[in-house]
Amino acid sequence: MRHVLMRAFWYAVVFLLVVTFNFFLVRLMPGDPLVHLLGEEGYLYLYVHQPQALAEIKAKYGLDKPVPVQYLSYVRNCLRGDFGWSYQYGQPVFKVILFRLKWTLVLLLPAIAISAVLGAWLGSLAGWRMGRRAEVLSTSILLFLYSLPTYCLGMILILLLAYYADLFPLGGMVGEGSSGLARVGDVLWHLALPLTVLAVHNTAYNYLIMRNAVAQVKIEDFVLTAAAKGLKEKQVLFRHVFRNALPPLITVVALDFGFLVAGVLLVEVVFSWQGMGSLIYDAVVSRDYPLLQGCFLILACCVLLANFVADLLYALVDPRIREGESFG
Amino acid sequence: MALAGFLILLVFLIMALLAPYLSPHDPWELGVPYLPPGKGHPLGTNDIGQDLLSELIYGARVSLFIGFFAALLATVVGTALGLLAGYLRGAVEELLMRLADVFLLIPTLPLVIVLIAYLKPSLWNLIITIALLGWAGTARVVRSRVLQIREMPFVTSARALGGGSFYIMFCHILPNTAEVVLAKASLAVAGAMLTEAGISFLGLGDPTQKSWGMMLHYAFTHGGIVNGYWWWYLPPVLCISLAVLGFVLLGYAGINPRGSGQILLGGGDFFGSCAERTRDPG
Repeated sequence: MRHVLMRAFWYAVVFLLVVTFNFFLVRLMPGDPLVHLLGEEGYLYLYVHQPQALAEIKAKYGLDKPVPVQYLSYVRNCLRGDFGWSYQYGQPVFKVILFRLKWTLVLLLPAIAISAVLGAWLGSLAGWRMGRRAEVLSTSILLFLYSLPTYCLGMILILLLAYYADLFPLGGMVGEGSSGLARVGDVLWHLALPLTVLAVHNTAYNYLIMRNAVAQVKIEDFVLTAAAKGLKEKQVLFRHVFRNALPPLITVVALDFGFLVAGVLLVEVVFSWQGMGSLIYDAVVSRDYPLLQGCFLILACCVLLANFVADLLYALVDPRIREGESFG
Repeated sequence: MALAGFLILLVFLIMALLAPYLSPHDPWELGVPYLPPGKGHPLGTNDIGQDLLSELIYGARVSLFIGFFAALLATVVGTALGLLAGYLRGAVEELLMRLADVFLLIPTLPLVIVLIAYLKPSLWNLIITIALLGWAGTARVVRSRVLQIREMPFVTSARALGGGSFYIMFCHILPNTAEVVLAKASLAVAGAMLTEAGISFLGLGDPTQKSWGMMLHYAFTHGGIVNGYWWWYLPPVLCISLAVLGFVLLGYAGINPRGSGQILLGGGDFFGSCAERTRDPG
């Protein structure tokens, strides 16, 4: 329990560091910070036509106050979910992000679940049979898939399955004017390719982790005992070895969240999936800095949260940590 | 495995070094746009008529350059900090490792995107930003190796003979971390190349340079994908993947020689901490 609380405190500290980074990034850049808050065009327009309005906005953002005061109010706003105003969308940043985050999760969570199961299963078989020809072959293939960037795999699948075979759409999320069950089916149809890409990439990674974990556990004495008392190979593997190789996988699965965030961003752009990735892409193209920073903050939050969940799960699986021993 | 990785990288290295002699055209020379592969242009041309094969060959230069220097910088910083943390222990270790934790926790790609968007894309901005965010994994691994080494008899005797901290750190401990550092550095190059490709793909690459990521960016934004012009984007995709595979193979060979199944050095978390920096750019 104390351990979990310590971790929670630590993640809060990291969150504060991210907020601080965001705060200083705008203010340490050359030029008026308002340029970054309003966008170059908006700023220049006001500068030429309504200098009065510019001063008002400056006061509204608190930019006329001393830096420590600005900092405190910035942190307070961030905690309240007020990340500023997106000039590209003409909406509060938080609102824009919340809508998009939902669609990213629709893509991300199934990918993580599928790859956790597949990776654990294939990986333990590989670790158990390490060195055999089939294992060497499958490890080579998965190592290649792991080296293949997600968006590159996405482009290849688009070419083969969407462009030539015409089985799946080139991109997008839902067709026009569908509703109810048809809409769900349509979403799934659009989801298939990007989901496959992410699941394949992440399965490869989980496979490699699990393979090594099982290989390490397999040489321990209790495995020999289990085999000696006449258990079948599959029983030894899945009842005895698997459970002991599980803790690293749990950490990895939760951490996957953080790593897949990068993958999902680029995959979304390739498949024009309207989630966080496309949002960041749009923000980059239109230089919408408040939106960009808001996205970064939210993604960092998600990753921290996932890490915290990993810590909780880890404590559940590994009694030594529950007892209060610290690790790492 | 290591040999395969080495051969792949050798090919790319030759490609990068001899780019002016190997490429059939000047990659900046304009011509007829959207040509499919054919005579004169083995891989066709892009949206402004530049020869794609030449772009690809010159792209090896920029991609490898960024990957190599970002990894070098990250490795030097990571090794130095890991060494300090592992050898000095105490408050220094606590501080440095907490700092490394922060860098490992924050999602790298979004942070690089934010930084580059503010700093304006350029070759060195990319290198420095990627390096800045990539040292933490190396520092952690080096530290855990140093923790093993510092209690060994030869270090104790060096200390007994009156060797100073820095002398022992750099002359006795550092050489013994070489294996780990090199393996990690190889994976760091792979990670840096992936990040560069991802960033450039999003359009935040150095617009004055031709890298594989930039080729993908133009192929994507100028209709190469929608129109199925595979000769435009499959070659860079393959180049990126093979180069990354090369460095990954080389790196893992250093950790896991000859399929013995045992992870050498640093225990179970070693694979994880190596892999995590390689893979975050997706």
